[in-house]
Amino acid sequence: MITVTNLSKKIGDVQALDNLSFSAHDGHITGLLGPNGAGKTTCLRTVFGLLAADEGHAEIDGIDVAKEPTKAKAQLGLFPDPFGLYERLSPREYISYFAELSGMSKNDAKQATQNVIAQLKLEDIADRRCKGFSQGQRMKTALAQAIVHKPTNIILDEPTRGLDVMSTRLLRDILLSLKAAGHCVLFSSHVMQEVAALCDQVIVMADGKVVATGSPEELCQQTGKDSLEDAFIQLIGTDEGIAA
Amino acid sequence: MKTVIAMVRKELIDAMRDKRSVMAGLYYAIGTPLLMCGMFMVLIGQLSSPEDLNINITNSDNAPDLVRFLNNRGINASTDEGVSVKDVKDIELIISDDYAENMAKAKPAEVTLIADNSNEKLQKSIRRVELQLQAYSSEMGSLRLIARGINPAVVQPVKVIVEDQATPDSKGGFILGIAIFTMIYSVFISGMNLAIDTSAGERERNSLALLLSHPISTRQLVLGKIIAVTCFALLGLLLILLVSKFAYTFVPWQELGFSVNISPDFMGLMLFIGIPLAIMAATLQLFVSFMAKSFKEAQSYLTMVLFVPLALSMAASYNIAPDVLEWLPVSGQQQALMAFIKGREIPMLQLLVSSGATLVLSVALALGLEKLLKSEKVVFGL
Repeated sequence: MITVTNLSKKIGDVQALDNLSFSAHDGHITGLLGPNGAGKTTCLRTVFGLLAADEGHAEIDGIDVAKEPTKAKAQLGLFPDPFGLYERLSPREYISYFAELSGMSKNDAKQATQNVIAQLKLEDIADRRCKGFSQGQRMKTALAQAIVHKPTNIILDEPTRGLDVMSTRLLRDILLSLKAAGHCVLFSSHVMQEVAALCDQVIVMADGKVVATGSPEELCQQTGKDSLEDAFIQLIGTDEGIAA
Repeated sequence: MKTVIAMVRKELIDAMRDKRSVMAGLYYAIGTPLLMCGMFMVLIGQLSSPEDLNINITNSDNAPDLVRFLNNRGINASTDEGVSVKDVKDIELIISDDYAENMAKAKPAEVTLIADNSNEKLQKSIRRVELQLQAYSSEMGSLRLIARGINPAVVQPVKVIVEDQATPDSKGGFILGIAIFTMIYSVFISGMNLAIDTSAGERERNSLALLLSHPISTRQLVLGKIIAVTCFALLGLLLILLVSKFAYTFVPWQELGFSVNISPDFMGLMLFIGIPLAIMAATLQLFVSFMAKSFKEAQSYLTMVLFVPLALSMAASYNIAPDVLEWLPVSGQQQALMAFIKGREIPMLQLLVSSGATLVLSVALALGLEKLLKSEKVVFGL
């Protein structure tokens, strides 16, 4: 469970987050949908405590990130954008390294790495160095890193960017299975199809503000449009519409 | 602690697989002692035996005795056997036509020395010829006085006695200083690439934010990186000691009257003294490269920063302002090591103070690093 309350953050002269509030629940997939520059990544970084909010706070399972960062981060898994792989390590070394950083003992980390490698069908590349991996292989390695320590909350930043159809499907299946296992999945995206196909709840963001919240169907109903794409344009584009 | 160990292990595995990091350390540790050896051999050759000086002597037949005198002191005429033309210095000694006649009559016999005194390369040789000519002149004078029954001492009212207090060891101080300096500097060079790779490189690869999103404190992160870079620096030091031990046996030290013996005792002391130095080198390099935005930027900053230990160490071996330097990081340790290898007593208090200062500096830099990594600007390069 991730709860964000009245979050505001200014980066330079830009108001990146403007009184942002939402919550993502366990056993749900929540999509953070917004155009480029809406503040999605800033929002996720603030949830991770990497950026300090000017106002408001973010809570992970009821723990304030700013106050108890280590405890809060132990409940989180991050699938970053870009992935941040270590090219000279193999996925097995990479995954178990981050498992240890998440607080597991060396042996537990090894076991958990073996499990996640089997789960994501990484066996064929598990002991090759990451240098030269395809985008799909990189995605799988990064995802394995995010879920190896079985955090209750998993955050993905633009997970489908640059992936082919097969990799996207695989990712989708994994996210659905995480949801079925009761995890709280929060991801940011600007791809409508992804959000429409996966999300139980969509948070539409523009200019650092929440514009609308609801399931894809609810958003369509609310705007009177047939597709999420039209609904999205309607929701964020009203200003532009008036200006035009 | 467990987390820190995991980080150090990962950093070392990562670094060992990075050819650039390993090579930077290896080239220095193996290349420098060999280079030094070659340099010392040339230097010792020049210091120990002054070369023969070949000059042009005109009318040498008029003064066979003078020519013989000069010859005995290593000054040869260009016409002598075995003198090749290119070895002849541009100095000409003209013996006048009436030299023999005047000499026989005890009148001043004229010789003319022609050379360009503004030519710096020649100055030393010109002085050498002048000195020997004067020596010959006063010897002849003494002989004439003796022939006339007068003690030559009456024309020497002042007798100057020069006592050279330089011991063979202190003469070699400069060479020793350089040899030890190359070893100390290895802790700065060996870990440099790893320090850049694990800081500026980490951010360039976008893995820094991922690392910080894990439940670890910045202190653990900083410690892990410092320990990893320190290990690498000490490894470089160990390597250069081993190579030096082997290579320095080939230098003809005996010609200088002392020897640079890389004994196991010295190696042990050097490694021990090297630990605080390596820690400081690691924190300094990490601190500087975390401030840089990219790998290349970090490289250029670090080359500038590394002039500071270079200057300290060099000053210590040239004896510039030695009193203050004994207490400072790098130069303090350098002087203690020089004392040890010269067989003198190690200045314990100075060594303790300079090592302490080294550690205090390291802690200050580490705390600075911790603060840097909490800043959004540094982490994301905003």
